Amino acid sequence: MAAPCERRGQPAAPGRALGPLFPAGEPAVPAGPGDGAAEPRAALQAAIERAIAELRALAAGADADSAAILDFQIELLLDGELLAPALARIARGEGAALAFAAAMNERINEMAGESDEADSVAEETDAAAPDPFALRAADLMDLQHRVLDALAGRTRADFPAGSVYVGRDMPPSVFLAHDWSAGGAIALKAGSAASHVALLARARGVPMVVGLGALPGEAGEPLLVDGTLGLVRLHPEAGGADAATAPPATTSPATPSPAAAPAVVASPAVRSPGPAAPAAPVGASRPGLFANIDTLAALDGLDPAAVDGIGLVRTEFVLAHAGEALSEERHLAIYRRLLAALAGKPATLRMFDLGGDKALAGLVEGDRAAALGLRGVRFLLAHPDLARIQARALIRAGALGPVSVLLPMVTLPDELAAMAQLFDEEAARLARQGVEGRRPPLGIMVEVPAAALTLDLFGQAAFFSVGTNDLMQYLAAAARDDPAVAPLYAGAETAMFRLLETICATARALGRPVYLCGDLAARPEMAARLCALGLDGLSVAPAHLDAVRAALRAAPAVARPGVGAPGRAKRD
Amino acid sequence: MADAPPLLVRPSAHRCQAEVEVTHGVGLHARPSVAFTRLAKSFPCTVEVAVDGSADWLNGKSIVKIIGARIRRGTRLRIRAEGARAQEAVAALSELVRRDFDEDRKPGRADGRPL
Repeated sequence: MAAPCERRGQPAAPGRALGPLFPAGEPAVPAGPGDGAAEPRAALQAAIERAIAELRALAAGADADSAAILDFQIELLLDGELLAPALARIARGEGAALAFAAAMNERINEMAGESDEADSVAEETDAAAPDPFALRAADLMDLQHRVLDALAGRTRADFPAGSVYVGRDMPPSVFLAHDWSAGGAIALKAGSAASHVALLARARGVPMVVGLGALPGEAGEPLLVDGTLGLVRLHPEAGGADAATAPPATTSPATPSPAAAPAVVASPAVRSPGPAAPAAPVGASRPGLFANIDTLAALDGLDPAAVDGIGLVRTEFVLAHAGEALSEERHLAIYRRLLAALAGKPATLRMFDLGGDKALAGLVEGDRAAALGLRGVRFLLAHPDLARIQARALIRAGALGPVSVLLPMVTLPDELAAMAQLFDEEAARLARQGVEGRRPPLGIMVEVPAAALTLDLFGQAAFFSVGTNDLMQYLAAAARDDPAVAPLYAGAETAMFRLLETICATARALGRPVYLCGDLAARPEMAARLCALGLDGLSVAPAHLDAVRAALRAAPAVARPGVGAPGRAKRD
Repeated sequence: MADAPPLLVRPSAHRCQAEVEVTHGVGLHARPSVAFTRLAKSFPCTVEVAVDGSADWLNGKSIVKIIGARIRRGTRLRIRAEGARAQEAVAALSELVRRDFDEDRKPGRADGRPL
């Protein structure tokens, strides 16, 4: 049999799993904006053709009534008038998905009788029945999702459950689309322990090793991934299994070792909080404890009694496909589920943090080089159609429970003001339409040094949340997912803490609560230093809650002048 | 409801116009719009419609324009065509409207052919 072969890399997510090797194809280089304006146009045409073919196939087997509706949709897609506004947007430089979604949203609003004089006429037709033309808006929405799915379809490559994904890197959308309940692991030739996919893997308990370089092995060969030690072993059964690399007792399907997950973040001395007890009361002399949520699955294991709430929902991961991201109803359904799981505790939802290395299949191509470019709130303000969809859903969610909204990557107070105005406009519009909603308080992510140093100018923010991953990247001018500069990134911790002191002091002077939701919050050895800063809350992935809770208890309490109870209800 | 026959105006062999009242259910919603635009597209001439005396002529072959016009029951619909078989097109489309888009007939009758 094949000889065992071991490779060392860097640990990215703890745990150990064995499974058949799945070699991922090298991802296609995303077409940049300079690759010719014909590209998004062709992509949209192809997606529409695909949607028409799907509808025709459906219509062929449908009853007469259903076929009539499908016929209607087919005719709409065949009508050049439907496509024209989207093509005009593409000509102005927008991507295919956003151009199509935004153009369709205009039609949908038109159809729903949004601004029309038609509403008064509607009464005459039939006072009791809903406007039949407004009902057609649903057909348009359905069409919109179908075309967006077709646009995104090419990138939804999944792999067999329980296998070990081996590739150069892994897009977060691939991680999110995969069912990890059968186990499995990730071994990357490049990649970084600070990447988004590593963050997702840690939160989900999927063992992951990065920076392995060239890896031997063929598809299907057994590969052991030890994410705690940062090594992989091909054919582990063939070698003399030592304690470090022995496969788990059950080798098929691969299962992450549950005990391994917290081991890397907490020593046994601080990791035994016993049964989940409520976190320290908010407003006491220790920071509150909140959970970061990246997937709906993470909610299932979350005991709302054990946290003060959800401190960060990365909506770009929860709504990971263009069809979902551009559907207000889909947003609302997900926010509703989040709030239901929290049983009355507050939830802070971050608006889409897209751009930079964060792609959204079919909507935004990721570009690592754009860490200093159009991302976060900059991207949202540049694509207000997308921002408005999310704002409306967040306002509607506000009526269902205590919701706060976080804006990513804010640099200047103007950006906050622009987004606040957008929320006000959408809230007014929903009110005119008689749709229930509550305009949520807006807070900002503090992850750009310019914002961190001028926090006193952000009095319009209801609260602050420090994103340490990005803030350290920008402080050190060292990309967080580039192993070559990883020591610089790690070494910026001193600067980071100095800046944190400034941030906390300014927030206190403004009377605004300040939270911390980056990876730094999840490191138990940092608990005492973080407590000393007087932060109002830490937000960490569910897998780290126990360890951080224990570390916080062990940390000396500090007096925190200024802000009293930082409960979200306190914000206006 | 028995309707007055559509008024045909024929300035030339290649241009034609008629006015017809929409009597069907709620008007030109999904299925009637499909029937109307498919029939309109089967003619080589241009087909345009105007609603209730409006001077705004909409492309009668575009379902987006037709459904967007919210053409309800009781609407006076002007249909005009220009080009080859213009007269035939206007007559067939007017008939289709008067027949309530063949809604209560078997499928396959939406081709607009006169009874």
